[in-house]
Amino acid sequence: MEVIYLDNAATTRPDAAATEKARAFLEDDFYNPSALYREGFAVHKQLESARRAVLNCLAPGGGYDLVFTASGSEADNQVLFSAGQRGNVVISGGEHAAVYNAARELERRGVQLRIAKLRPDGGADAEDLLSLVDGQTSLVSVIHVNNETGAVNDVLSLARAVKKINARALFHSDGVQAFGKIPFSLGAPIDFYTISSHKIGGVRGVAGLAFRKGAPLHPLIFGGGQENGLRSGTENMFAVMHFQAVCEAAAERLAENMRRVRSLNALVRERLDRGLFTVLSAEDASPYILSVSAPGLRGEVLMHMADDAGLIVGTGSACSSKSKASRVILACGAPDAVAEGVLRISFSAKSTEEEAARAAEILNRCGKELAERMHSSSCKK
Amino acid sequence: MQKVIIVRYCEIHLKGKNRGYFEKVFLENLEKALSGIRHEIHRPSGRYLVDGFDEARADEIAARLAKVFGTHSVSVAQQIPADMEEIYRSVVRIAPESGTFKVQTNRADKHFPLDSMQINAQIGGRLLAERPQLRVDVREPQKTLYIDIRENGTALVFSDYIKGAGGMPVGTSGKGMLLLSGGIDSPVAGYMIAKRGMVLEAVHFHSYPYTNMQAREKVENLAEILSRYTGGLHLHVVSVTRIQEEIHKHCPDEMMITLLRRFMMRIAERIGKRVGAQCIVTGESLGQVASQTIEGMTSSNAVLESFPVLRPLVGFDKTEIIERARQIGTYETSVQPYEDCCTVFLPKHPLIRPDLAKVRLAEEKLDVAALLEDALAQEETVVFK
Repeated sequence: MEVIYLDNAATTRPDAAATEKARAFLEDDFYNPSALYREGFAVHKQLESARRAVLNCLAPGGGYDLVFTASGSEADNQVLFSAGQRGNVVISGGEHAAVYNAARELERRGVQLRIAKLRPDGGADAEDLLSLVDGQTSLVSVIHVNNETGAVNDVLSLARAVKKINARALFHSDGVQAFGKIPFSLGAPIDFYTISSHKIGGVRGVAGLAFRKGAPLHPLIFGGGQENGLRSGTENMFAVMHFQAVCEAAAERLAENMRRVRSLNALVRERLDRGLFTVLSAEDASPYILSVSAPGLRGEVLMHMADDAGLIVGTGSACSSKSKASRVILACGAPDAVAEGVLRISFSAKSTEEEAARAAEILNRCGKELAERMHSSSCKK
Repeated sequence: MQKVIIVRYCEIHLKGKNRGYFEKVFLENLEKALSGIRHEIHRPSGRYLVDGFDEARADEIAARLAKVFGTHSVSVAQQIPADMEEIYRSVVRIAPESGTFKVQTNRADKHFPLDSMQINAQIGGRLLAERPQLRVDVREPQKTLYIDIRENGTALVFSDYIKGAGGMPVGTSGKGMLLLSGGIDSPVAGYMIAKRGMVLEAVHFHSYPYTNMQAREKVENLAEILSRYTGGLHLHVVSVTRIQEEIHKHCPDEMMITLLRRFMMRIAERIGKRVGAQCIVTGESLGQVASQTIEGMTSSNAVLESFPVLRPLVGFDKTEIIERARQIGTYETSVQPYEDCCTVFLPKHPLIRPDLAKVRLAEEKLDVAALLEDALAQEETVVFK
């Protein structure tokens, strides 16, 4: 039987149609887009056209430019080290490690770091966040869709409120789990926005950083001056063209995909054994991410059992002796027993109803079996 | 002139009539350490000489030879005709420009026209005249220049002793089964015992799905590091998941570790008998954790049919073990944060002084023979050459 893959927030299976569309750039059109001969220039034109196409999916209203980076982490780092070098930096406790650890590094270099509280569903506590912003704030970074719980932050309103307190503060949002999945148009108060290809059927090796025209942005990587000097390194044209293809496909079917994934999400929520599992994701979270916990059981053990039964899901974090629970889930205020039992079920546009139904069934079976194996000591003398 | 490497050995000369056997095993281990590198090993007297290699790899070869147990020290030397002019030219090549030095000659060829003292004086004198910034200090020189006049009309000139791993050649002291966890101690225990000449095979216990593949990979990495000292290593991997679950189900929580250790010992002995081992080696250190008390050790020893248990770290402090782990290069791997033994079932208050009679009584609730068969049936073996 085919393995059911529901860890799409980690990465997705690359889309075959997009691979076909982009294949030429692995084979015939391999030229360096910076080269001056005709063949290279033609590739350069394709690169610029892909940039416009991706931007058009993200910010159809205009006013933004895009730099292709090699990963979402790189894009996040570029923003933090460009715009967060002075005064204080405000982030939410629900940031992805790429923002969180870059901010920690800024703190080590002398910038004051302020971390806003999370609501129980993993969303940023807006009131707390805004109370941390002041005249010295250089950068605020708030994740758009939380990668562990799916909580959606209203980043447009947050950005607007931040600018009201300090018009010079810059606003960044990591939109890696939002882009191509939930309806959103990048607009005025947001200065920087990170997107990634491999979370929506693209390949790894390309991501993007959209930035408001005129926003201060500096390179992390110096060299041949590609990407307008903002990101040196010969462009990964196959990945870029593949990115364009999956962006356009995602934009075209966004509403339809969302509706379908919402029904899969609802189906799993409904079928999971509530005697074993607690749902952590809020009703209004991104339907693509469903975070659940089996309190008292170890999430990673359940994950291994489900894997053996043909279902791949994610865990809160690895079973390491240093941290058994995810930083983000703990920041939501979950008790240890809940935080250690977290599983993340994440769908893609291609997930099916049958897969969702079987996933719930496998999780229920594994959860029941593990609970019996763990708690059977009550019957011994 | 050609570069050669001198390998001096440790305790082999103590071994009387068995000396030939020890030297043969040592030579085989030296050959193994240089597998893949062009070289020749000769045995003039009381030492080994390696030559015929690519001189650019001399340092690498010396480092590999120094790691072989039984090696006392290694020197990279120049081999030249035993002629005073040649010797002097060779000495000049390695002599310092300034500071203190002495020349120390060993004359195996008693027919050489000058004696050791005369050679020291002549070579040292010429060097002093040519390099006025040098001074002689026979007590604590910054550099000692060694001249070794051999019987075959050649001389060796060198200045550095690289300390070897010491100990006895692996293969001269029987065979043991090392219980290898992902921790700091057991690789060190394996190293210590291999150093005394014992051939090792390792057994690792995991509890998938309660532990993960990363933990197992870590143990395989440790086995690979250890295999460089032990001349290869077989790693037997055995799941104790069912055993832990059965203990959890039928026995008092606080006995989990005590009972599990007894199963591990039994499994190690069974595999050990199959592969021709004679004992079990563990990384236990007295009193380090709750299960490593004398009562805990007594309880696990008691299940063994004929194997003794060697615990080379029994009197070591943790800091001493860590220091040794750093030296042998296993520490960085050992401290990676993956659990190798499931903590899911670990009791909050493990039994510190298990009473053997009570342990046996608790164990009666388990079908020990069936659990052993079950575990051994799923054994996997990974070979590190």
